[in-house]
Amino acid sequence: MGIQIQNISKQFGNYTALDQIDLTVPSGELVALLGPSGSGKTTLLRIIAGLETPDTGTIHFDGEETTQRKVRERQVGFVFQHYALFRHMTVFDNIAFGMTVKPRAERPGKAQISARVHELLGLIQLDNLVDRYPAQLSGGQRQRVALARALATEPKVLLLDEPFGALDAKVRQELRRWLRKLHDEIHVTSVFVTHDQEEALEVADRVVVMNQAKVEQVGTPEEVYDRPANPFVYGFLGNVNLFHCRGNESGGQHGESTFPVDSDGVNIGYVRPGDIRILRRAESAADIAAEVIFIQGAGALPRVELRRVDNGETVHAELPREQYRQLALKIGEQVYIQPTNIRVFVPDYQI
Amino acid sequence: MIAIKQRGVLPGFGLAMGFTILYLSLIVLIPLSSLLFKTATLSWVDFWGTVASARVLASFRLTFGAALIAALINGVFGLLVAWVLVRYKIPGKRIIDALVDLPFALPTAVAGITLAGLYSSNGWIGRFIEPLGLKIAYTPLGIMVAMTFIGIPFVVRTVQPVLEDLEKELEEAAACLGANRWQTFVRVIFPAITPALLTGFALAYARAIGEYGSVIFIAGNMPMVSEITPLLIITKLEQYDYAGATAIASVMLLFSFLILLSINLVQWWSRRHAER
Amino acid sequence: MTTQSITPNTLGDAALTEPKAVRWLLSGLALTFLILFLVVPLVAVFVQALEKGVDTYWAAIIEPDALAAIRLTLIAAGVSVPLNLVFGIAAAWAITKFKFRGKAFLITLIDLPFSVSPVISGFIYVLLFGLQGWLGPWLKAHDIQLIFAVPGIVLATIFVTFPFVARELIPLMQAQGTEEEEAALVLGASGWQIFFRVTLPNVIWGVLYGVILCNARAMGEFGAVSVVSGHIRGLTNTLPLHVEILYNEYNFAAAFAVATLLALLAILTLVAKALLEKKVRHAVKSATKPIGVE
Repeated sequence: MGIQIQNISKQFGNYTALDQIDLTVPSGELVALLGPSGSGKTTLLRIIAGLETPDTGTIHFDGEETTQRKVRERQVGFVFQHYALFRHMTVFDNIAFGMTVKPRAERPGKAQISARVHELLGLIQLDNLVDRYPAQLSGGQRQRVALARALATEPKVLLLDEPFGALDAKVRQELRRWLRKLHDEIHVTSVFVTHDQEEALEVADRVVVMNQAKVEQVGTPEEVYDRPANPFVYGFLGNVNLFHCRGNESGGQHGESTFPVDSDGVNIGYVRPGDIRILRRAESAADIAAEVIFIQGAGALPRVELRRVDNGETVHAELPREQYRQLALKIGEQVYIQPTNIRVFVPDYQI
Repeated sequence: MIAIKQRGVLPGFGLAMGFTILYLSLIVLIPLSSLLFKTATLSWVDFWGTVASARVLASFRLTFGAALIAALINGVFGLLVAWVLVRYKIPGKRIIDALVDLPFALPTAVAGITLAGLYSSNGWIGRFIEPLGLKIAYTPLGIMVAMTFIGIPFVVRTVQPVLEDLEKELEEAAACLGANRWQTFVRVIFPAITPALLTGFALAYARAIGEYGSVIFIAGNMPMVSEITPLLIITKLEQYDYAGATAIASVMLLFSFLILLSINLVQWWSRRHAER
Repeated sequence: MTTQSITPNTLGDAALTEPKAVRWLLSGLALTFLILFLVVPLVAVFVQALEKGVDTYWAAIIEPDALAAIRLTLIAAGVSVPLNLVFGIAAAWAITKFKFRGKAFLITLIDLPFSVSPVISGFIYVLLFGLQGWLGPWLKAHDIQLIFAVPGIVLATIFVTFPFVARELIPLMQAQGTEEEEAALVLGASGWQIFFRVTLPNVIWGVLYGVILCNARAMGEFGAVSVVSGHIRGLTNTLPLHVEILYNEYNFAAAFAVATLLALLAILTLVAKALLEKKVRHAVKSATKPIGVE
């Protein structure tokens, strides 16, 4: 089921949480709301669920207006940041809760409920923990129980608030992939909130980047990463090097890249650390002389910090291990850097 | 005032809030305001004539004075008891801890007759003190004893949780920086528990001022000497002097509210302090 | 992940505790104070009650006036505790599960009866319902007597025990937040289902705790009840008032005998309180640290 969000605004006192948001979530997709804290992403999620009422605007589920509909009639599944498992109920009772509170006429029989719970337990791979209480589970297990509980009533939409926020790094990785796989199996329209760009890029079909109560960009992970709409999106999705370029410095050109300049002929070029090439010898006049000041060789992508000789600015580079080994850099050495894939943003204009 | 604008999606706000306001009004606000209205009908001369009469003034002096001393005693010993309960291993700690609440749980009339018995000249305690030339029962001293008794839990129970939650790192840091135990207490621990101590003290003071049951049996109730204000209100009532009773009660009530206000101020102040 | 603390839990380090002599001195002082002011009086009640033998003791308790006082005390508590329980739950629900302006003020109003002298607590009802009071003439005309009768005693008892359940529940439910209720709501639960199946089980110990304190005060209240009671033996005397009358008649053994009933109530209350305290504290602690945060 698709979700259409139109012109949603929300104020908390003087604080604007959402400012005229328009957004469409296509049916069956897994969409990430990505943004820094305070960007309004959780408020938007809660408005979709009906846990918060918008000041203006409408929400449609498959063209059907739900803005005024009560939470319990919306048929959404919601996974809370801290899971909100009922602490006095076992895993079984937690998952069964949504079915047992249905009006008597719609309520499934005991056997049916039990069958559904065990089916879900199979899905989340926790069959053996059915009688445990939330306090006896690990964080990752609680997370999965919360998910199973939300799925038990077969919601039309699944909403997850920072679903992996409270977990440690390793469990997070695992659960992330698991959620992606799960979504590929059940295809329920899902929206999750996160402030972790890696998580959004890895898991989502579509990423909605939010900042200061507004949507900055919507697109597939590749789109937002490779073709960010503006400096904020660029900066939020990964590390960044800034190159202050003057239009006349190389005529709006740097190496092979061209970029527009504003009226003053000044602009900033954005380059990802992975797009910085490090050379022993200058290949062209545009290459910049720099001194190696810090090397972090451990990890999948070794990182090198360099200081530009001309203006003393620091440049971060990441390079493949193979290349790192070949270069055999030492601190204090002078090398040349070549920024590639430079992106430049001019207000209201993008390449 | 209370602006009733629902924020949140959970059901039941109207019902719960409606019942709360209705019940609060019927049981507390309307009856209490009857006292205010009655006070408003008194002429200034009547009011002042009652409140400034020698017997009433003597009772104010006695009540507020004895309550103050009792609250001070409780400030010192309450802090001590809280400290020992939190910091030291002593046998039977759980029982002692539970016993601290006895003055809350023991009906005041029972406390009253028991204390009167204990401190009278042939009581368990009185018989040892009387030969020293000190009479406690049926004197202002006895009033103080009873007020101390009923105030014990307040300071202990406000200071105890703060002392428990006090970060050990603070003291460890002080020790590492070369402070001795006394310096650590005075400069690190005591400032942290001061708001709680003040709150407990004020609560004990307010309770002692209004206390009736545990005091009247040991007080002697001699006008001008050992007659507490609450008793005076009852005396006026028994003489059907509603105006007089109202005047005295309104002064007491005003005082209670002032103490309540100062407690709120202390807590507000300490919260602001903690946030910074 | 479990964090392992390197520092020992006991205050063994000399830098972090006082010299042994100081510890002994402080503990001794504290214990002496508590024994003198709490243990001795509690023991004295029972000793004085049994001074004239078990027969006298028993006679004082099964005497008709004493039984009538017991009955009235049970009635006063039996009416006021359930009413204040319902109120406490409603107030805590409105205050902790919703946002509205003036919340702090409302809490102050709820706490108000605690800062009013018991004597004044009774007096305000006399002013309202007494013969010279606002509604007195009307009540008289309709032949309804509230003051110096059982209804007045019940009203005064409700007033003095008014905040107990609410003030126990408000911090507890505040600490537990609204996430679990919201989760239940999203899963389709109705208001009553949310309350009975999610909220109540989480605060049940707090409710019980408040009820026990409320009951102890309701049964033991003296000052407020004394003002509105007609002091009519066998009719408008609660247990504490009966104790007073016996004592003032110099019938000390009987007074203390009846007092032991109230002292036993106090001891039971303290035991129940101590047992529940742990559970309530645990509920608050586990709530302020939301499950799932490691």
